[in-house]
Amino acid sequence: MKSVITMEHVIKHFKGHTAVNDLSLDIQEGSITALLGPNGAGKTTSISMMLGLARPSSGTVTVMGGSPQDTAVRQAIGAMLQDINVIDRLKVDETLDLFRNCYTRPLSLKHLLDISGLDAARHQYANALSGGQKRRLDFALAMAGDPSLLFLDEPTVGMDIEARQLFWETIRKLAAEGRTILLTTHYLEEADRLADRVIVINRGRKIADGSPAEIKGLRGQKTVAFSVPTEEAASGRAANLISTLQDVLSAEWDGSRVTLTSPDTDRLIYELVRSGIDMSEIAIESGGLADAFQFLIQGDEQ
Amino acid sequence: MMMTALKAQCKAELLRTMRNRRFLLFSLLMPLIFYFIFTGTLGDHRMVDGVEWKAYYLMSMTIFGLIGSNVITLGVRFAQERTQGWTRLLRISPLPRWCYIASKMFAWSMINLGSILLMFIVCGLAKGIRLPAYEWIGCGLWIWIGPLPFMALGILIGMLKSAEVVQIVGNLVYMSMSVLGGLWMPLSTMPDLIQKTARFLPSYRFGQGAWSILGGHLLGVAGTVILAAYTLVFMVLSAYILKRQEAV
Repeated sequence: MKSVITMEHVIKHFKGHTAVNDLSLDIQEGSITALLGPNGAGKTTSISMMLGLARPSSGTVTVMGGSPQDTAVRQAIGAMLQDINVIDRLKVDETLDLFRNCYTRPLSLKHLLDISGLDAARHQYANALSGGQKRRLDFALAMAGDPSLLFLDEPTVGMDIEARQLFWETIRKLAAEGRTILLTTHYLEEADRLADRVIVINRGRKIADGSPAEIKGLRGQKTVAFSVPTEEAASGRAANLISTLQDVLSAEWDGSRVTLTSPDTDRLIYELVRSGIDMSEIAIESGGLADAFQFLIQGDEQ
Repeated sequence: MMMTALKAQCKAELLRTMRNRRFLLFSLLMPLIFYFIFTGTLGDHRMVDGVEWKAYYLMSMTIFGLIGSNVITLGVRFAQERTQGWTRLLRISPLPRWCYIASKMFAWSMINLGSILLMFIVCGLAKGIRLPAYEWIGCGLWIWIGPLPFMALGILIGMLKSAEVVQIVGNLVYMSMSVLGGLWMPLSTMPDLIQKTARFLPSYRFGQGAWSILGGHLLGVAGTVILAAYTLVFMVLSAYILKRQEAV
């Protein structure tokens, strides 16, 4: 696997504080990587440096073997940035044509309208589009130069669920064609469904890096939830039985329903069955990415 | 890439300009109306500096319109593109920054050429202005090249905080330069002090070039040098500010 982006010990001071603090990472060709972190964690600053819009205070950023400022590198990258309003008094197709022509080998206008689903809106004024449509125009602009590396900064903000799923589908196809994709998102579900790698940053530093499954595994805990007959809950008999089990880390009661946290839910199920508790509506869940994310950030803040 | 980018930029600028009512009103219609009002009230055949008023004032008003569009409309456009983030998008494209600015200036000189032809044809026909062909061509060419310092000024003003600020500052600069530069009324009708200061204004020097061609004179060296110096100063200042704005 080839590295497409390499950041080595990058520090960025910005307006009197350190936005990025000794960040090193490596993005592989053809991967979909999600950069996660709370607001102000340094995601957008990192992306700005990868795009050559900002210079690191120290450390190096290499994109496709060169500087992000190189024309050859710029031919091969595209980005959906935040807060881009397209210029006034131009229609969708005119805007795309204007931007396409900045590249040596752009995608055709028809292709761009197709992949962004904007064909029906092509004759509308670009600044009269709805929020979701605007985001799709941003996507089409990002694809204008037929990039092999695509940056998506909060790509699906303003899109409804259906549009979002359609967008994920498109992104997966682009990755399958061998393009590298780096995205930031507030929707953890988006990262979970789309990315094959998740990098969590907080306060400008990398605090976790792995596949979504690995990140979720960092939490190391899963839950078993079930309901018991009301009288068993009221008498405390069920609670007593549960307290004798070995693999339970915590038990949370909500009326007659209990949620048990355990490092090994498979073994816990056997124990529960053997203990003879009268269980119904059993649900076993591994913590979601949101859970793991919360856990990591809280752990880092302490 | 540069050529196709240039063509695309020209097309986009033309479309945006034709769709801009403010431009049509203030840069095309207003100079035309002023022309007909002030030739009507002062009389077509009055002589000013040895030139018939209807021809003299055609040059004044053509230049007046061009200064407005090149300082204000162009400046506002640069400011808008920057504040709305379009410039940021362009910065990640392979198009060099100078190429973007140069292609915009080229596109505007096409728009300027259209404005000049419109003024010359409409006023020339309506008032029956008869000039030797070389004077038409000479004035046309001069007025076509002359907006260069004003484009540079537009780019410079366009770096101000917002499009609204650019609009206000641009209008102040535009109106004062037009009046003090003798574009509204010939300088010879104005107080001595204004006549003296006008010699340093690019608006006066722009107008003077066209008026002297009408009077059968050659372009003055002083005027050309002053206009070139303004262009240079505005461009160097813009380049400096641009570098500072982008050094993040």
